[in-house]
Amino acid sequence: MGSLVLDALGKRYGASTAVERVDLDVGQGEMVALLGPSGCGKTTTLRMVAGFVPPSAGRVLIGGKDVTRTPPHARDTGMVFQSYALFPHMTVAENVAFGLEMRRVSRAERETRVREALRLVRLDALEDRLPRQLSGGQQQRVALARALVVNPAVFLLDEPLSNLDAKLRGEVRMEIRALQQRLGLTTLIVTHDQEEALTMADRLVVMERGRVRQVGTAEDLYERPADPFVAGFVGRCNLIEGRLEAQGQFRASSGALLPCAASPAPPGSCILALRPENVSITAGTDGAGRLKMITYLGPQTEYHLDLAGTPLLAIRQTPSADDPLRRLSPGDAVTISWDASAARLLPAAQPETGV
Amino acid sequence: MAALVLPAGVLVLLLLVAPMLLLFRISLNEFSPTQMMVEATTAANYFRAVQDPYYRQVLVTTLAVATGSTLLTLGLGFPTAYWLARMQGRWKSFATIVVMFPLLVGNVVRAAGWLALLGNGGAINAALLGLGVNAAPLPLLYNTGAVVAGIVAVVLPYMILTLSAVIEGIPRQAEEAASNLGASPLTVFRRVVLPLALPGVIAGSVLVFVLCMNTYASAVLLGGPQFKMMAPAVYDQFVRGNNWPFGAALAFILLGFTLVLTVVGSAVLGRCYRR
Ligand SMILES: Nc1ncnc2c1ncn2[C@@H]1O[C@H](COP(=O)(O)OP(=O)(O)OP(=O)(O)O)[C@@H](O)[C@H]1O
Ligand SMILES: [Mg+2]
Repeated sequence: MGSLVLDALGKRYGASTAVERVDLDVGQGEMVALLGPSGCGKTTTLRMVAGFVPPSAGRVLIGGKDVTRTPPHARDTGMVFQSYALFPHMTVAENVAFGLEMRRVSRAERETRVREALRLVRLDALEDRLPRQLSGGQQQRVALARALVVNPAVFLLDEPLSNLDAKLRGEVRMEIRALQQRLGLTTLIVTHDQEEALTMADRLVVMERGRVRQVGTAEDLYERPADPFVAGFVGRCNLIEGRLEAQGQFRASSGALLPCAASPAPPGSCILALRPENVSITAGTDGAGRLKMITYLGPQTEYHLDLAGTPLLAIRQTPSADDPLRRLSPGDAVTISWDASAARLLPAAQPETGV
Repeated sequence: MAALVLPAGVLVLLLLVAPMLLLFRISLNEFSPTQMMVEATTAANYFRAVQDPYYRQVLVTTLAVATGSTLLTLGLGFPTAYWLARMQGRWKSFATIVVMFPLLVGNVVRAAGWLALLGNGGAINAALLGLGVNAAPLPLLYNTGAVVAGIVAVVLPYMILTLSAVIEGIPRQAEEAASNLGASPLTVFRRVVLPLALPGVIAGSVLVFVLCMNTYASAVLLGGPQFKMMAPAVYDQFVRGNNWPFGAALAFILLGFTLVLTVVGSAVLGRCYRR
């Protein structure tokens, strides 16, 4: 059993459901990211773990202990809020010391640990400042230090980087990950930025409309998505509707017959998922492919294609200057191909949310 | 800009400061039973006010009632203000109107309401007698308690509205962060909410204390003839005794105490949590 367990956790607000049912098992020292579109219930789930939102169904277990009815202050969680939520009337050092004070840590030990925590987030020179005298990134690090210093059983982060500029975001992302690994903290992080989730977390939970769609490593989700939602949400993906006619033979709804991976799925209505980087094109016609648009992105180039009535996106490394592909222009006929094993079949009909 | 502000400024000055200056001049005059007021420059009225045990008692009563009422108002007002500030949606405007409602009723009308509630033939005594709990009506009216109740009911909306405006500015998440770090609700209040609400506590208390010091209707109607506070005493000097100089001196003593106490009080309170 993991050190944080969510057992069939759900939350309803009147008639609307914020979180339908979340089952999750986070191991000791593991970092799990909750990922999903806006309004899918990530924050609500996190706040149920912290105890700010009483669940309407299910249980929360921390270290094997059922804390579903335990008030927030008696749960051993350390939370970093999106808005940082520093105490505006306390100095940096006082902010960081607050949790230790609540735990009745002696003054001497408190001072040592506060200094240590501030050194960890590289803020040791600013301990006497007030939060309003700090930059956003510095406030962010105070919030981190304040939550880390008490060495919580569960570390919770709600979009901790969303108020930072792009450059700082990259740095702090690395810092958080390094600290989390060094201290071996069991961590749940909420984000709607998939790059953030992919780079920081050991495992990801993709949520949609209050439900968990898939749990797995970045590799699992990218290479073996369980359904079209996950395939489309994590990275970019061509999702083509149609039906499986025979093993390896997919008939798109536009009529084109496309090669696909051998699949145990029974013939019938389904969706073909094909990553754009797996689509290759060559100059010269086979009669079916046509180039509609080219977007040059430096190291990569995007090709918007049409394959016998089916729109398709290909992303390739930008070809060298003497490559014939470089001379293609919109409207040209091209030959489109892919490795059949790269085209995965996914169930078409998504189970509707709501029981 | 200056041209726009000037006429209003002059008007305010005339309306507010001129009567005060006039009153101060009067307080330095002498009183003669035959001639009423005699032009003079003497501090005798002030000496009399602080030396006469009767007026000293009136001042002490006023200070005690004002301080007690202010503290009681703060105690009752803070939880209500917090509740109001944290309320959401359409109930909030409704609750705000309910809180402001007493302000729509004049002081005298409200005091009359208390009379109807607390008097010998009032609602409470009628109920107690009717139920046979008491044989004789309880003396609920004409005591300090009745005056304090009357005052608190008048000033409570000011306190609540002042406090809730400040509490609304305290981020909800700061409270959540504190409780996440292990602070019990009481500790969250003591360490986060109260210090951050302090400007509101000071502003509300000063406002309410000033109103309490100058209580008139509640003191006269609910305290009865034996109960004396400063504002009614000033009125008595002007209207009944026709002793304008002494009345003016009493008024300035009241003003002085109010001013000094609010300044000192808020400075001390501010120092406690100064950052
Ligand atoms: N207090 C509330 N009352 C009613 N509905 C709520 C409440 N809090 C959240 N919801 C609803 O629950 C759903 C999930 O909200 P939540 O804040 O968990 O989303 P989220 O995944 O964190 O989204 P975002 O990425 O935009 O932060 C939303 O539809 C939201 O409107
Ligand atoms: Mg959110």
